[in-house]
Amino acid sequence: MIRAIRIGFAALAVCLATSAFAETIRFGAILPLTGPGGLIGTQQKLGIQFALDQINARGGVRGNPVEVVFEDNQAKPDQSVLSFNKLVDLQHLPMIFTAYSGPSLAMAPLATRKKVLLVNAGAQADALSKASPYLINTLPTIGDEIAVLSRWLVKTGKKRAVILFENSAAGISGRDNYVTHFTAAGGTILAQEPSQFGQTDFRPALLKLADSKPDVMLVSITAAAQQMAQQYKQMGVTFAVAGTTFLQDPALIADPAAEGFLHTQLQSQAPAALAAEFKRKYGAEMEFFVRQYYNASNILFTALDKLLAEKKAVTGENLRDEILRIKRFTGLVPVIFNSNTATVPFDLNVMRGGQDVLLEELKAQ
Amino acid sequence: MLALQLLVNGLVTGCALGVVAISFGLIYATTKLFHVAHAGVYTLAGYLAWSLVRRGVPDVIALLLVMAASAAVGAAIQYFLYAELGRRRATHLVVLIASLGMLAVMQNTIAAVYTPNILQFPLPWGSRMESLAGVRLTWTQMLTVVVSLGAFGVTMWFSHRTILGKQIRAVASNPFLAEITRLRPQRVYVTVVAIGSAIVALPGVLVPLDLGLQPYGGITPLLTSTIAMIAGGIGSIGGSFVLAVGIAVLQNMSLLFIPGEWSIGITFGIFVIFMLFRPTGLFTGR
Repeated sequence: MIRAIRIGFAALAVCLATSAFAETIRFGAILPLTGPGGLIGTQQKLGIQFALDQINARGGVRGNPVEVVFEDNQAKPDQSVLSFNKLVDLQHLPMIFTAYSGPSLAMAPLATRKKVLLVNAGAQADALSKASPYLINTLPTIGDEIAVLSRWLVKTGKKRAVILFENSAAGISGRDNYVTHFTAAGGTILAQEPSQFGQTDFRPALLKLADSKPDVMLVSITAAAQQMAQQYKQMGVTFAVAGTTFLQDPALIADPAAEGFLHTQLQSQAPAALAAEFKRKYGAEMEFFVRQYYNASNILFTALDKLLAEKKAVTGENLRDEILRIKRFTGLVPVIFNSNTATVPFDLNVMRGGQDVLLEELKAQ
Repeated sequence: MLALQLLVNGLVTGCALGVVAISFGLIYATTKLFHVAHAGVYTLAGYLAWSLVRRGVPDVIALLLVMAASAAVGAAIQYFLYAELGRRRATHLVVLIASLGMLAVMQNTIAAVYTPNILQFPLPWGSRMESLAGVRLTWTQMLTVVVSLGAFGVTMWFSHRTILGKQIRAVASNPFLAEITRLRPQRVYVTVVAIGSAIVALPGVLVPLDLGLQPYGGITPLLTSTIAMIAGGIGSIGGSFVLAVGIAVLQNMSLLFIPGEWSIGITFGIFVIFMLFRPTGLFTGR
């Protein structure tokens, strides 16, 4: 009888110990799930969810299930701050995935003050690299891409440019970089015109830019690129169009109006088996932003695994330190952290026949 | 040539805005309610048309069906929401907040059903180009001008030449007197919101046919149209339409002289100054 009771207590102790160690680790994600950025935000969410499902199917990180609480910010900075406070003050989450430059920049000072790690795998404004020591960018800022793109354009004879930019943190950062790097490469900026985030009528801006008779139009918009391409085509103009990873939009690439559009793109390819698994699960292609946030999630899980192995507390500070200490991640996207902003190789692609075709492999200098 | 193309683009945009303005003005002048959910009806019309066209319904039939559906939605909002609030003696501020809530519900429902992505109409003829004297326009843009001018003309005729139109103007002028003369204002309110909703379905379909559909795309046209309605003179159909066209043309033409960042600010700045000198609007009278 006493033996049976002992066994019972031992079993209870094992259960309690297991449940104590198998605590669910919770993170947050503040993404634009509705509004003009909803398409990209939904892709980003799926990338995180896919990585979560995979890690939890393997038993979590060192036996701890991982959960992400999603918040919709509609790509608005003010809404992002509200969501940040909710996740940090009420739910005490140590890490939050973020996207879009404006919202990320709005949350950065709060992240510094509250020592919460922000992981950005989608926004590229230059200001992000110095916004907060608690902001980790798993992709380079837009300046690196634009510097290389500008040199390539000038080298290939496209020396007179105009700029179409979005009146947002990301768009303005792109414009400033075009002005700096295109001019430094020997080109001339003839004119520049803004558009508003989510705006789909680009005709007035395109008309004014076309009047300058440029060789190329440099584009720095993060939404409605397909509508811009259609209106450009309707104008019957002949100048080239070039942009950055911002133009990595499946709908744009598939549209005949975007034939010949050039753009830089961070190198990231999903292995066929992984892409097939994703498609089976979600019924969609594993697009660029899915891959980005899938990769960022796995970077986080790697750092988390190290922390738990070393029995360190899961805090924003420790997660950040661990990511910077590991430095080199060879996941879906090869990433090196020489600072809090990653270095990633990228390609120059041209949209041709509804496909994104590799034109040249490029490296930041 | 740039100036001419900007002028024509402004006229196209202005015509569409003008129809939003006259439909909103018709409702506001009669019911005295700031029907913000009108932006939701405008957006819904585009999505309904998109669904019908995708299911193979002929374009014109789809447009007529959408106008009827929009009229039903507008009438339902008036009958089940505004009239109910009126019976409970809600103030106009409460009704405005209810209307804002209704707009949020409509936008979120549309985003949930259709996704928040920008959707394109599967109608290749819409983006076909024509060039006239160096000015390039899509068929959709040309259709927008023709339909908008037609809608403006028909609304003017309806308002001034039909018995129902005169009844609406009588109720707008003095609802208490109308009640005594058995015009039944509550019934007229439902009718006028239904008519306004049917009218706003026209730009609600034509503008997204040109620029794509977005669940949150109705607010900006409604705001601009509201300004046009006030500056044109509340109750003046012609004033609302002319001012809407004026605002759009000014916004486009201002690009000739100032950078795009300043276009909206300066355009509306001019109207603020204008309102200081003419607070009752350019064309007052009912």
